[in-house]
This record gives sequence, C-alpha cells and structure tokens, in this order.
Amino acid sequence: MDLVQMQKSLQDYTKSLFLEGILDSQFLQLQQLQDESNPDFVSQVVTLFFQDSDRILNDLSLSLDQQVVDFKKVDPHVHQLKGSSSSIGAQRVKNACVVFRNFCEQQNVEACHRCLQQVKQEYYLVKNRLETLFKLEQQIVASGGMVPAVELGF
Amino acid sequence: MEFKSAEEGRIEKFPVGMRVLAVDDNPTCLRKLEELLLRCKYHVTKTMESKKALEMLRENSNMFDLVISDVEMPDADGFKLLETGLEMDLPVIMLSAHSDYDSVMKGTSRQLLPPSQSDLVPGVSKKRKDKVNDSGDDDDSDREEDDGEGSEQDGDESGTRKKPRVVWSQELHQKFVNAVQQLGLDKAVPKKILDLMNIEGLTRENVASHLQKYRLYLKKIDEGQQQNMTPDAFGTRDSSYFQMAQLDGLRDFTATRQLPSSGLLSRSHLTKIQPHLYSSINLQGMNSSGFIQQGHHQSSSNSANPFGTYHSTLPPRIQNVNLFQRTSSPLESLQFPRSKCSAYMGDFKSIGDRPIGGGFVDSCMSYGSSSTSLPSASTNTLMLQGNYTQPLHTVSSVNQPCIEKTLSNAASPNISVQGLSRLPSQSWQGNLNTTRFLSNSSPLNHAFFPDQVTCAGNNLGDCSSLVSAGNPGGGMQCEPQLLGGFLQNINSLDGQKWEQQNCSMVNNTFGNVEYPLPGDNMVFRENNAARSKGVDESLMSPIENSGNVNSQEYVGKPSTMVSAEMMKSGKPENAHIDNQNQHDVFDDIMNEMMKQEENNGMVSVAARFGFDSFPPP
Repeated sequence: MDLVQMQKSLQDYTKSLFLEGILDSQFLQLQQLQDESNPDFVSQVVTLFFQDSDRILNDLSLSLDQQVVDFKKVDPHVHQLKGSSSSIGAQRVKNACVVFRNFCEQQNVEACHRCLQQVKQEYYLVKNRLETLFKLEQQIVASGGMVPAVELGF
Repeated sequence: MEFKSAEEGRIEKFPVGMRVLAVDDNPTCLRKLEELLLRCKYHVTKTMESKKALEMLRENSNMFDLVISDVEMPDADGFKLLETGLEMDLPVIMLSAHSDYDSVMKGTSRQLLPPSQSDLVPGVSKKRKDKVNDSGDDDDSDREEDDGEGSEQDGDESGTRKKPRVVWSQELHQKFVNAVQQLGLDKAVPKKILDLMNIEGLTRENVASHLQKYRLYLKKIDEGQQQNMTPDAFGTRDSSYFQMAQLDGLRDFTATRQLPSSGLLSRSHLTKIQPHLYSSINLQGMNSSGFIQQGHHQSSSNSANPFGTYHSTLPPRIQNVNLFQRTSSPLESLQFPRSKCSAYMGDFKSIGDRPIGGGFVDSCMSYGSSSTSLPSASTNTLMLQGNYTQPLHTVSSVNQPCIEKTLSNAASPNISVQGLSRLPSQSWQGNLNTTRFLSNSSPLNHAFFPDQVTCAGNNLGDCSSLVSAGNPGGGMQCEPQLLGGFLQNINSLDGQKWEQQNCSMVNNTFGNVEYPLPGDNMVFRENNAARSKGVDESLMSPIENSGNVNSQEYVGKPSTMVSAEMMKSGKPENAHIDNQNQHDVFDDIMNEMMKQEENNGMVSVAARFGFDSFPPP
C-alpha cells in the first residue's frame, strides 16, 4: 500500500470511529494537542487510559464479586473510569459508566454486574479500535509519511 | 501565546508562564490537563495526590498563581485544597465530574468541568472566575469552562479571589443603616459603625466598602431627585448602587436577588440546573412566598417599602446562579386572585403575601424559572393599580411579558419590570439586571437602576438598566438602553457559552408604595402588552426554544439571542412562545420605547419584563 493510500485509510478509519460513536470530540481535542513538538501525546494519554482502565476494571470485578458489595468502593471506581474515558473521548465507555453509576446509586447488584459487562465490552472495543488506529499511524510514519491532521469536516 | 478558541475563533491571550498547580487522581485526566495548560504556555506542576499539593502550597505561598484540582480524590477532599488556596488568596478551580449542584456548590463558587468536559482550558485562565460547571453525568461533554465570560465581569471583583464574602442581607444592612444614622452620616466612620453593629466576623474593611457604596447610593438618590434621571446616569453598571438600593429597600428599587453564583454554567448544564437549588430563590413564588413573607415583615415596619427588598444574601457581584425554581404550575403562583386585587389596592402589604410578590421583589431574578410567574404577577399588579378589577389579560398567559404602561404622572407608581419569570430555570444562569422603576412624585422620585447586566459570556457591562427617570411630574421614562444594550450583548453571547449570564433582573416594583396610585396613571397599552408579550417571549423564552434554537444561530438577533440563550438548555416549560415573532415584536417594542423616551413619555419601562406598579397601601 502506498503512503497516500495508507493515509486515506487512516482517515477513513478514524472517521468511522466517530461516526459509530466510539469516539467523540474529546478525542479530537487530544489530537489537537499533539503536534511536532509533542508527537506522541495521543498515544501516551491513551496508553495511560488503558493502564488505568485495566486496573479499574479489575478492581470493579473484585468488588462486585464480594458477598456483600460495598457500593462505596464501587462508585468511585466507576466515577474514575467515567472521567478518564470521557477525557479521551471514549464516548461509549463513558455512557456505559453513566448507566453503571445510576445502578450503583440504586445499589442494584444484578444490574451493576450487567453494567460492568457492558463497560468492559465497550472498553475492549475502543481499545481494539484505538490500537488499530495507532498501528495505522505507525505504518505511515514508518513509511516516511506524516499522519494527516485531523479533519473536522465530516 | 495566543490561543484560538475552537468554537469562537477568537484569539485570546493567556498569561504566559502562569504557574499552575494541577491536582487530579486520575492519571489520564491529569495528563490531558497538563497538556492543555502547557499549550497555554503555563508552567505546570502536577500531582495526583492532594496531600502533596497541600504541602507544596504551604511550603511556599508564592509558588503558584493558580490551583486546579479535582474534587473527589481518595486521599483528601479536594475542597481542603480549595480552602488552603483561598486562604492564600489563590484562585482555585475545582474540577468535578459531579453534576449535582450540591456538590458543586459546596465550598466553591466556581467549578470547572474536567478537561474532557470542557473546552480547552485556555479559557480557564481568563475565566478563572467563571467556571462552568457541568453536570458530570451529562453526556454532553463539551462543557465549557469557558468562555463564559463570566459573570465576574463586572470587574469589581478582582476576580480571581475567592474570599468568603460578606453578604449584606437586609438585616445586616438595616443594622448598618441604623448605625450610620445614629452616628450621623458625616461622622459615620467604619470603625464606629462596626462597633455599633456589633456583628461577629464583620471586619472594618467590609463596613468601609459597604459604606462607600452606601454613600454613592445616597448621592445618586439625591441627584436623581433633583433631576430626571437620564439614561446616562445609570448607564454604567453600578452594581454597588444597585445593591445598595436593594438593601435599602427604600426606593424604587427592585431588589436584585443575586443568587449565589457558582460558575455553573454549561450549556447542557442549564438543563440541569437543579431545581432544588433554586428553591431558595423562587421567583415563582412557591418558596418565595416564604421568602416574601419575610421580606414583607421586614419591610412592614417601613411603610415606604412594604415589600422590602428581598435581596439575596449573596454578594451582588457574584456570579449568579440560576436559581430558579421551576414550579410545575407557574401560572398558579402567578395568578393574581381577583380578590387580592382589591386587597392589594387597599393593602399594599398583601402583595407580599403573594408568592409572586416575592418574585417581584426579588429583582435578582435569576430566572431560571420556567414559570412565568413574574410577568404575570407584575401584570397583575399593574392591573391592580390601574384600578383593576380584573387581572390584565395578560395575566393568564404565562408569557406575560412586558407591559408597557405610561404613567401619566404624579404619583406614578413604581413600575417594576419583572419579566423574569419567564425564564427557564435552567437556562438562565445569570441574573439579568434590569430595573425599572418609575418614580412617582414622592420623594423617592428617582429611579435607580442597577445596571448590571452582565452576561457571562460577554460583558454586558454596558447594558444599562432600564431606568425610569423620575420626573418631577412623576413620569416615567423608559430606558431603552437597557433593553437594547442587553440585547446587543446577548447577541454577542456565544450561545454555547452561556455560562453565566449574569443578568439580574432587577425589579423593584414596590418602590413607591406610599403613593397612591391614581387609577388613571397607568395606561395600559394593550397593544404593547401584546407586543411585549412577544418580546418578552423572545426575551425570555428560554425554554421553549431550547429544543430548536441553536445557540449559535442567533447571533445578530438580539431578541432571539436572548431567548435562545435563555433557553439554552432549559426544558421548555412554557410552551407558548412564538419564536417567529420574536424579532419583530421585540423590535417593535424597542422602537416604541425609544419613541416614548423621546416624547418624554411617562413611559413605563418594563419593556421586557412585566412590571409592577404598586399602589401604595
């Protein structure tokens, strides 16, 4: 694949993520913060997000598996996840967290379990997509090209 | 460094090198925040631990210019950091993903949405004072910290200071006034006043600044009495004057109720303005009845001002939060029972009993309320005065907006324009100050007007309040400027950044209670009423339009802008606004007002908002 094609692929791919609602404008913001002097910003932040989220999801699973669920512990985790997903633009994850929190408030264990599953699902989805995105970018850079600037026109 | 705001395309300059301490336990958010700040060329120190942040702050009070901190952090309460920062006179921005008003209000008057939920932080530096708080749970992640130009615009507050402010409540002010009178205005020095007042926690400085304002206010009153108040006189935002007027309650001021400001503005947030928040200030009258009663009692001893002024206990300059309560049946509260009309006539005080009365008095109408109580109420009052046996036709309509009256003269009643009621609680975060008063032949023949229309987004500073000049003959003049100014400003408001529109609606309806209101004084212009209705709607119809108005759409259309702003995120509760006519109606009204003014009309102001004239008891 030549460079131009790769760049086009990347753009299309990125757009699709937005169109599907997997990413929202916050992600664009992240991209805007990236520039030549700061070329890895997005992947840096996203990596942080992945690490943080893995940990949180783990903690959540543990908390919800307890005999007696301590919602006072569950809620802050979900809150954190909501914050971080929101800040990188992982819209669906964030939305799932919102729902999750509602059930936490209601102290509905069953529903919380389901929410956790939902959050995990969305998380793995966005993780997967972003990893693909980064790969595409890396390929472009490896081929000597520049990653196209984010287009807001779509 | 210049940063172009994505949304507005403005170029803003940020204080390069400003030292910021960023605290957040969420590494992702922290990193993003850091980057945003770095983009603005600030110097950033970050930490995930609140404790560490506190240490750093204490170590050297001069190390930072600004603190940005998350509210919920495991090792410490973010508010602790806030307190420390405040003690050191540092501006502190609190970030939270919480949407509930209570947690937002707790301890801070300004909050920001976390980076993900706000526009690029660059706005922050300017808006340190104005924070927009977004409901964290809101899906709208574009909150903005924005640009809300905030409320602070009045500039009197140097802005970034978040010192606990002394709230000059009615009682406090009364004590102050007593002390001053006791000492004699000439001899009233802060120290002595302070001693006489004997209020714990009050400092000499507090008294001194209040005294200064009071003196200015008295001066203006005198000036006003000597001549017609010209629009120019009140052209500037003279919030201090205004406030004083309110506190004083003597004159025809509309009490401006300034609600606690919390930089809670957010587009989407507007919808979320928590109703319970507003309960304290309820224009609609539900809670306000309680409030009013209070005021009423307070004022009952003061015949000149039966209604007293319900001023909020918040410092006027504080950004006003949209404290507006949405009542489910605004109309009810507004309906001015006929039976009360006569009661009203005969007994001014009875107005205070009306829930709505409170609304009127509260000039600071932060009107979030979706109910239109005020206008109706005012309408009602007007009606009353004019020898009403029945409420104005507009009363029944929720959108009663402006009723224009021309006062013929002499005992022209004070007309307070209220109009706030129509604002949707949610969308109107600021206080729109419009005061209009008619002065009548009584000694209080002046109108004072606060002109503080400060819109968060734009400096509405130049909005002059509607001023009704007190003519010797008691005529009333409309101050179209306010309206126009307001509109213009509104225009410039970025719909999205509604942030705090500090528009306090000031209405002082009860100013001249002691004057009998001649039945013929008020000429109700029915056609105007209709128009004003339209205008009012346009101005205040926040709610209705929220659904369809794109905040960005109305640039250039003052009337719509206003309403759009208002409605911004409000849920339309008042369905009857005819947006289409807004412009026209509004323009008409404006023209009319201009004409009236030209004609030296005893034009009653209150173009936009309903106004009340109250016949003296």
